[in-house]
Amino acid sequence: MEKILQVKDLELSFNTFGGEVKAIRGVNFDLYKGETLAIVGESGSGKSVTTKSIMRLLPESSAEFKNGEILFGGRDLTKLSDKEMQKIRGKDISMIFQDPMTSLNPTMPIGRQITEPLLKHQKISKSEARKVAIDLLRLVGMPKPELRMKQYPHQFSGGQRQRIVIAISLACNPQILIADEPTTALDVTIQAQILELMKDLQKKIDTSIIFITHDLGVVANVADRVAVMYGGKIVEIGTVDEIFYNPQHPYTWGLLSSMPSLDTEDAKLYAIPGTPPDLLDPPKGDAFALRSEYAMKIDMEMDPPFFKITDTHMAATWLLHPDAPQVEPPVSVIERMKKFPGSRYYEGSAN
Amino acid sequence: MAEKLLEIKNLKQHFNVGKANEVKAVDGISFDIYKGETLGLVGESGCGKSTTGRSIIRLYDATDGEVLYEGENVHGKKSKKDLKKFNRKMQMIFQDPYASLNQRMKVMDIIAEGIDIHGLAKNSKEREQMVFSLLETVGLNKEHANRYPHEFSGGQRQRLGIARALAVDPDFIIADEPISALDVSIQAQVVNLLKDLQKEKGLTYLFIAHDLSMVKYISDRIAVMYFGRMVELAPAEDLYNNPMHPYTQSLLSAIPLPDPNYERNRVRKSYDPATHNYAEGEDVRMREITPGHFVDCSEREFEALKAGSLKV
Repeated sequence: MEKILQVKDLELSFNTFGGEVKAIRGVNFDLYKGETLAIVGESGSGKSVTTKSIMRLLPESSAEFKNGEILFGGRDLTKLSDKEMQKIRGKDISMIFQDPMTSLNPTMPIGRQITEPLLKHQKISKSEARKVAIDLLRLVGMPKPELRMKQYPHQFSGGQRQRIVIAISLACNPQILIADEPTTALDVTIQAQILELMKDLQKKIDTSIIFITHDLGVVANVADRVAVMYGGKIVEIGTVDEIFYNPQHPYTWGLLSSMPSLDTEDAKLYAIPGTPPDLLDPPKGDAFALRSEYAMKIDMEMDPPFFKITDTHMAATWLLHPDAPQVEPPVSVIERMKKFPGSRYYEGSAN
Repeated sequence: MAEKLLEIKNLKQHFNVGKANEVKAVDGISFDIYKGETLGLVGESGCGKSTTGRSIIRLYDATDGEVLYEGENVHGKKSKKDLKKFNRKMQMIFQDPYASLNQRMKVMDIIAEGIDIHGLAKNSKEREQMVFSLLETVGLNKEHANRYPHEFSGGQRQRLGIARALAVDPDFIIADEPISALDVSIQAQVVNLLKDLQKEKGLTYLFIAHDLSMVKYISDRIAVMYFGRMVELAPAEDLYNNPMHPYTQSLLSAIPLPDPNYERNRVRKSYDPATHNYAEGEDVRMREITPGHFVDCSEREFEALKAGSLKV
C-alpha cells in the first residue's frame, strides 16, 4: 500500500516556566492511502499534539521540534516555512476540530466559510466556488443548501455545525483529513450519523483519515488501524482487530477492561490505578510501569523497544521479550482474545 | 421493592413562562426513587435530564408538580430551617469539576462549607478531622486539604466534589454527568468510588448521563427522557434487553461498542416521533407493560406492546 505520510522519531517539547515538557517522546507511524488510523489515549498522552504538529498549529514561541521528521509528498513538514505550510493546510491536509461551536466563525455566513479555502487554494471564480460549496453541503446531508448558505453558525444545531465543518475540510479534496475528537461534543444518535457520514465520504473521495478519540467504541466503529498512545509515545499499534482482540500492552489491557461492555456483569469495573505521568519529568523506563501490575524490574530501568507480533502489529512492552515470564491478562481481555485466531487463548471458530 | 425515598409527581419546569420563547424543558414527568437504588437518567442534550435533577434539588423552582422527599414536598413555601433540612439530605455532584469548585478557596474550606452552614462541627479541630476523613474516604489524603483546586487533576477534582457532597452526610445524591469530563481510565475509578460509597453508606443516587454503557453498569433502573418527557422506565437489564419505546431502541442502536465485529454489523435505527400517529387529544402517558417496565404510550400502543411482550 502507498504510504502517504510518515512520522519518524518525532520528538517535541514545550518550553514552559516550569521547565521543558516533553509532550512527544519519539513517535513513529505511517499513514496509508485511503485508510483510517485512530489514535487513542487519555488527555496528556500526546495524541492531539502529534496531529497539531503535523498541521504545524502549535505556537512557535513555546513548541520546539527536538528531533525527527514528518514526511509528506517528499517534503519534511517540520522544516517548511509558514508560507509553504499555508499552501498545504486546508488543501492537502485539513482538520476537523472537537468543538463545532468554536471552530466556526460566528460572524460570517457559512457559505463564505466554505468557499474560503476554495478561493484561497484553487483558481476558481466566486460563483463557481459557490456552486461547489452548495454541492458540498448537499454531500454532507444538509437540506436546502442554497438557503442555508446565507445563514450564520448559531442558526444550526451542533450536529449540523459539525457537518458544515466537515464540508469545509473536504472543500479542496484533501489527501489527509485529521479529525480531532470530532464527535465528542455530540449526542450518541448524532455521533452515529456523523461517523456514518465520514465513512461514506471517505469511500467517495478516497482520503486518508487520522481519527483522534478516547472513545474505544468510536474507534471500533471507524478505524482500520489503531495506535495507542501513552505518555508521549505510541505503546501499541496494529489493525483494529489486533488491538481489540489480541492486545499485548498492559495499558491497552487497562483501557479495554475499564470500559463496561453492555453485558458486563455486576463485578467491579477494572480501574487503572494512579494518574498519567508528568511529562515535565517523565519516568525512567516504561512510562506506564508505575501504574501497571505487570511491571517488571526492567520496566523501571529501560524503555522497552517495539516488539513485532505480526507485520502489522507492534507493542512496546518488555512482556514480549523472549525472556519475559508469561503473564495472564485481565479476564475481560482473555475473553476478547478467545475470538482471535493467532492469539494464545483462541478457542477455534465457535460461532 | 424497597420503600420510596422520593416521589416525583407530574413535575413541570418551564422557562420564560408566558413569553414567546417559552421552553417546556420538563413537561410533566412522574417517577419514584427507591431507597438505596441508583436510578439512571439518560437522553440526549436538551431533553431535560439535567433540568429534572436541578428541579428535584430545588435549584429551580418547579413550574408545577410535586417532589416528595419521604412524603414531604420539597417545593412550595418553606422556612429557612426547613430548607436547610432538605439541603442536608440531598446533595449534588456536578459535571464540570473545573467550574464547580471555587478556585479561590482551599480544599479544606470547600469541603467544610456544608459542615459550617449546618453547624456539624463543634470546633475547628473537629472540622479539620472531618475534612481529613472525608478526603480519605474519596481516596485523597490530608495533605491535600491545604491546596487550591487548580493543583488537582480532573479525576481528583471530581473526588473533591464527591467529598463536598458527602460532608453533610446526605441520603440522596444527584450526580449530573459526574464522569463525562474525565478520561476513560479515570472514569472507572470514580464510578467504582461511587459504588463503594453507596454500599458503605446506603446512599441513593440519581445518576444523570449520556454514556449509556456506564449508566447500565451503575444503575439498578434506568429512565429515558426525550424532549421533556419520560418515554421509558425499566430495570437496567430489562431496558437493554427489551427496549419497547422506539426512541429507546434508536438510542441503544447508536451506542458504539468497543467491539469491531459488532460495529461492522451494527444496524442503526432512527426515531421519528411522527410514527406514533397520535390522534388529537389521545391519552398518552406512562403505562406499565410488564412489572416495573413503564413506557410512554397511548391506550392503543399499550395493548400492542402488552400483546407483544406476552409472546416473548
